[in-house]
Amino acid sequence: MPTSSADAAPSALATRGLVAGYGDVVVVHGVDVDVQKGRLVTVVGPNGAGKSTLLKAILGLSKVMDGHVMLDGAEVTGQPLELLARRGIGYVPQVDDVFETLRVSENLEMGGYLLDKSERAARLDEVLEIFPALKPKMRRFLGTMSGGERKMTAVARALMLAPRVLVLDEPTAGLSPALTRVVLEEQARVLAHHGKAVLLVEQKAHAALEISDWAYVLVRGSVAKSAPAREVLGDPDMAEIFLGATVRNEGAR
Amino acid sequence: MKLLIEAIGFGIATGAVIALGAVGFSVQFGISNVLNITYGSMMTLAAFVGYAFLQLNLNVWLVMAVTSVIVAVASVVFNRLLLEPLKRRGTSFVGVIIATVSAGIVLQYVIVAFVGATAHSFGQQSGRTVSALDFVFTTSQLIIIGTTVVLMVGLHVLLTGTKIGRAMRATSTNRTVARACGIRTERIIDFTWLLSGALCGAAGVALAITTVSFDFTLGSSFLIYMIAAAVLGGIGQPYGAMVGGLVVGIASQIAGAYWSPAYQDVIAFVILIIMLLVRPRGLFSTGTANRRLANA
Repeated sequence: MPTSSADAAPSALATRGLVAGYGDVVVVHGVDVDVQKGRLVTVVGPNGAGKSTLLKAILGLSKVMDGHVMLDGAEVTGQPLELLARRGIGYVPQVDDVFETLRVSENLEMGGYLLDKSERAARLDEVLEIFPALKPKMRRFLGTMSGGERKMTAVARALMLAPRVLVLDEPTAGLSPALTRVVLEEQARVLAHHGKAVLLVEQKAHAALEISDWAYVLVRGSVAKSAPAREVLGDPDMAEIFLGATVRNEGAR
Repeated sequence: MKLLIEAIGFGIATGAVIALGAVGFSVQFGISNVLNITYGSMMTLAAFVGYAFLQLNLNVWLVMAVTSVIVAVASVVFNRLLLEPLKRRGTSFVGVIIATVSAGIVLQYVIVAFVGATAHSFGQQSGRTVSALDFVFTTSQLIIIGTTVVLMVGLHVLLTGTKIGRAMRATSTNRTVARACGIRTERIIDFTWLLSGALCGAAGVALAITTVSFDFTLGSSFLIYMIAAAVLGGIGQPYGAMVGGLVVGIASQIAGAYWSPAYQDVIAFVILIIMLLVRPRGLFSTGTANRRLANA
């Protein structure tokens, strides 16, 4: 069994010694993360662990103080989100993840903004093959749709540029347990099956770990554990970490 | 009845100027999320820049075009030098509004420093009178109405039929997701300020043409009409601002004709208050802009 996610294959997305925060406040302390093609890697951790800051630093949305972010081995540290999108990173924010006043079809069209008309049409067909449930809903406005449908549209929108890497920020936030399962199993997991490198940040740790290949447990801005998701799921220390009672830093990486 | 028709005619002419300004104001807010009170003073700047060009014996419509370009560039510079740095530093929505109020006052008095506080006039630019079905327009009014219609149709085509227009709509609706789609939103914001600045410039010159005389308060005193039109249509909604401009223009002229010209200003405030009480989202709002205001 590999001791790091990086041992499995070359990383599509990687961070090395990433230090990030806001203003002068350091929130993420030297974090290494690896996500390979076709794998679903999840970052879990208690509230305030720095999960969102890590993700924002990767996406150029918060200040990187030190360290590196690499896309297929190329340095992309601090590059703005729009440039990362052009280079192959798809991003689905936790909230406000769609163009709410537009139809599903328009959301997907915006997702393929960089493509010419024929490319966009072809890509749309491919995306709808992954999410056939969207086909009958193409004329619907996002404001009238359920949380699960909105999230599916958001993920489909992110797929329009055929990204190599997909970053999903708490895709189940605000969803019921049933919808949580749908989003994780029928959306996040499906993406990895389609060869995407998927980085998932998730508060609902148990549900996320069940469908993930690898997990990073982030505590107080540092990686407390990096292991196969099943192993993390069965680790009795995890309950302590999530309750914030004890922080064990051994075993990291 | 004749009085009503005449008032409606004047209202359409006034509404065309309000719509020109209000659409620029509304587009600016809808896409860059700034409620720019300096807009009124920018219109005043346009009027005086136009006045300066007019002294060179240039055609008044050429003056309008050149002035629009100058104010468009000035708007981009203003946003880049003042507003974007403020936003980058995390200044609140209200803080940015206060900055635009302050900048507007400063600009007004910079204008006074150059041209003084006395009234100026574009002179006799109204042209001959054209009447039909009791409607009476001057050729200048007809050209301004025509210009407004052409610019509004052009804006519609731009927003709905072009790639940059789609990017503007995307940026307006959700800037982070627009960026995640690969849209260079900073460029879109620059383009928006260029476009809205051009509309502001055209509105400033159009206002000066249709006003007997004007001074450094021209734009700031007209701002309430544009805000009323924008709120009526749903702030951030360019189509709403077009309709709002027309409604405010006609309503103010009818009030002026039937009661007193003094009520022309009052009617804009009345419309503003009624809309805020009855339908604060405006007639054409899609919700995004109002959510921003609510979260400010």
